[in-house]
Amino acid sequence: MIARSPAGRGRALDLAVAFGLGALYVVLLLRTVGDLGYARDEGFYFQAAQSYGRWFDALWHAPKAALAQRAVDAAWATNHEHPALVKSLFALSNLILQGKHHLFAMEGTSYRFAAMVLAGAGVGLVYLFGARAEGRIAGLAAAGLLAFLPRFFFHAHLACFDVPITTLFTLTVYAYWRALRDGGAAWPLATGVAFGLALDTKHNAWFLPFLLVTHAVVLFARGRLLGWNAADRAPFRRAIAALGSMAVVGPAVLVALWPWLWHDTAARLRGWASFHLNHDYYNMEFLGRNYWTPPMPRGYAPLMTVATVPTVTLILFAVGLVALARVELAGPVTAIASRLGLARASSALASLRGSGLAALPDREATGILWLGAVLISYAPWISPATPIFGGTKHWMTAYPFLALFAGVALQRAALAARLELLRARRLLGTRLVSLARGPLPAVAIGAAVLAAPVVETLHAHPWGLSTYVPLVGGATGGATLGLNRGFWGYATGAVAPYLNGAPPGSTVYVHDTAGASWDMLIKDGRLRRDLRGVWSVDQADYGLYHHELHMQGQEQQAWMSYGTVRPDHVGGLDGVPVILVYRRPK
Amino acid sequence: MTIGPALRRGAFVVLPLAGIVELGAQLYTSRRAPTFDAWLELRAPVAELRKDGELVVIAPAWAEPLARRALGDDLMPVRDVARPDVTRYATAIEVSILGERAPELAGFREESRTTRGKFALRRLANPTPAKVVYDFVDHARPPIADVRGTDPAVPCAWNPRAPVSSGGLGGHPTFPPQRFECPGGEFFNVGVTVIADEQFRPRRCLWSHPFARGEIVTRFHDVPLGRVIRGHGGMYWITEREQRGAPITLTVRVNGDTVGSYVHADGDGWSPFELPLGAHAGADHAEVELAVSASNNTHRHFCFEADTR
Repeated sequence: MIARSPAGRGRALDLAVAFGLGALYVVLLLRTVGDLGYARDEGFYFQAAQSYGRWFDALWHAPKAALAQRAVDAAWATNHEHPALVKSLFALSNLILQGKHHLFAMEGTSYRFAAMVLAGAGVGLVYLFGARAEGRIAGLAAAGLLAFLPRFFFHAHLACFDVPITTLFTLTVYAYWRALRDGGAAWPLATGVAFGLALDTKHNAWFLPFLLVTHAVVLFARGRLLGWNAADRAPFRRAIAALGSMAVVGPAVLVALWPWLWHDTAARLRGWASFHLNHDYYNMEFLGRNYWTPPMPRGYAPLMTVATVPTVTLILFAVGLVALARVELAGPVTAIASRLGLARASSALASLRGSGLAALPDREATGILWLGAVLISYAPWISPATPIFGGTKHWMTAYPFLALFAGVALQRAALAARLELLRARRLLGTRLVSLARGPLPAVAIGAAVLAAPVVETLHAHPWGLSTYVPLVGGATGGATLGLNRGFWGYATGAVAPYLNGAPPGSTVYVHDTAGASWDMLIKDGRLRRDLRGVWSVDQADYGLYHHELHMQGQEQQAWMSYGTVRPDHVGGLDGVPVILVYRRPK
Repeated sequence: MTIGPALRRGAFVVLPLAGIVELGAQLYTSRRAPTFDAWLELRAPVAELRKDGELVVIAPAWAEPLARRALGDDLMPVRDVARPDVTRYATAIEVSILGERAPELAGFREESRTTRGKFALRRLANPTPAKVVYDFVDHARPPIADVRGTDPAVPCAWNPRAPVSSGGLGGHPTFPPQRFECPGGEFFNVGVTVIADEQFRPRRCLWSHPFARGEIVTRFHDVPLGRVIRGHGGMYWITEREQRGAPITLTVRVNGDTVGSYVHADGDGWSPFELPLGAHAGADHAEVELAVSASNNTHRHFCFEADTR
């Protein structure tokens, strides 16, 4: 038996905790997926995954034929505007876990499971990042605050790319940071691989080189400013190695794992880029106005963040940001002040550093890296030309880093609590103060801070796109402010019990639910097999209406088709209607 | 003590406190609005308060589907829900939750106010209600009305059992089961429907898609006239907002005299017109023609409402 060092035991413990958090999150997602309908885009990804699944099956049984260009292109042309990794995982999960092992009660969950695992991995990874960079309390708090962001929790259930890219974006940044800290060949290589996987997940990955090159430049500039020493030079050299790996390994992984790119590669890469750089504008409500063409409102991303991220999480983020900024900026600012001849400012800052209020910056400039990840995730929405139709999911790659800053704040608060308790030992007595030495301060503060995000998140389910934080008045406040109550037609799942009470053979106008999403509800057994989805309310016995500002014409079509303005059934959150069902009068 | 250490010392109190305050606020905001079924209890008090022809308005507007579900078509008929505006209503019943008010009733005078649980019911009087003598949309059926095209001259037959046709996602408004059907396909009809205006609010109106040439004319017989013919015109906003179509002209003729016209350009939204009737004002039995035309009829999903007052 090999004895482990304390550091090794610590690393193993961190990995175990990360795994445990991730596993718990996946269990929570699996336990709550049953009443969440299928989002419109999931329907398209199911179709893609089924096409890829058939190809994987062919590859297994007749590899030569499957690898012929005709077979590859036929299978992978489906939904080729998005990369293949996550859809391949959906396909393999369905093929193996469901097809062979019948692991899930519902067919749709077998596709979603792959994304859920990546969501769990994201939560575990955030713990690991926080624990390694700042400490276990920071890691635990960050993981909890990410897991219980209501919108993150909603998207974490879906067979889509938004949470997977959030995980792989974070993984790439983590691998890069480990490369800076630990050196060697493994982490730079891992950075390249992670970047390739991120590229093969969603185009948010395109921002990673901008983030990490900028960070490397910051390392260089800071080194020049503060005076290089050997220890300072190492992270910069390692950053160059990691970036080199991203440049070489990343694209190779992308092409290797996306068979659509195996032929006619340059043209298809151009097509992929062009699709997203010239994306159609869809409709989105913001402050009571429907936006469908530029200019888009610049306030959208900041206001929607404030309206949907628990306020306590944002407060913690701000506190954590200030705490790390003091660490990262005190040195460079002192140096700049000194060079500019601002002697008084320079000595004041130096004394600040000396007092221990501002520690020396960490060699990897971790705070700057995290802040960069937040900023780069929001950067596209500075432009009024950037579409906003996807709501908060557009910038979800910022949320792990936002949570990491928040984790730092919580850790500092726990430390401050411990110090204050120890200071007050005369007043409180030794027995009470002994509690300060244990985990109690962190647990108490953590519980108080996490309670609201946990309650908000679980309460909102399955109406995750309709929920708003109490700061803006909750779901009712969001509706009154004219903030979007949902999109993608996912709410059909919530009215399945009502629809299952329809007479045999009834037809249902599915409105914004994609055909494949409706079919999956049937396959799951959540809707009766004899219910038939149709594409016009005039052909239907029941008409669904998923509320969106610009969709109200759909509800009005139902009024005139059925001769009534009275919905027969309503679904929604906290008294706010999200989906209406009209019924043809007998 | 400097600010930094004070903040650090305070953080361990302030941060958890912020969490607990948010938790309390969450519990409050999530229970603030009435439940869906609580609206059902409104039916009796509103029925008692509302007299025939009075308007029921919900504040905030997002809660209106809940009121429609509870109150039904007799208390909230489509004619009121998809009203052109509130000028014709002498009295409105405002059902309000969360302390909200209906902006369109801002000029109305409060006559009474009661509270039922989380609901506030207010009876409001319009200080200057218009007296509508005749609503053209309400009378668009034979034998009072007929429809024809002019170039070529074609009659549009009344079909009391036409197949209802809805455009589906992104498609046209519903063509109702009773409508005048003209040659050239289902879009060429005159019937009562509802369109979504520039704010996606419902507007009940007379669908009147112009022909490629000439006019589509809806003629009303024995119309008692007020001082003006007043109305609104528009298109389903998704069609109109592209601003690529030709202007549409609605010409109003009384007993063969043109009293005026209204030109609707893409982007105007649900826009009003008012045409004085001059010497025809106050006539008891007039023949009124509402004729729609466009130089290019591509995607001209025009719909209008008109009355004389």
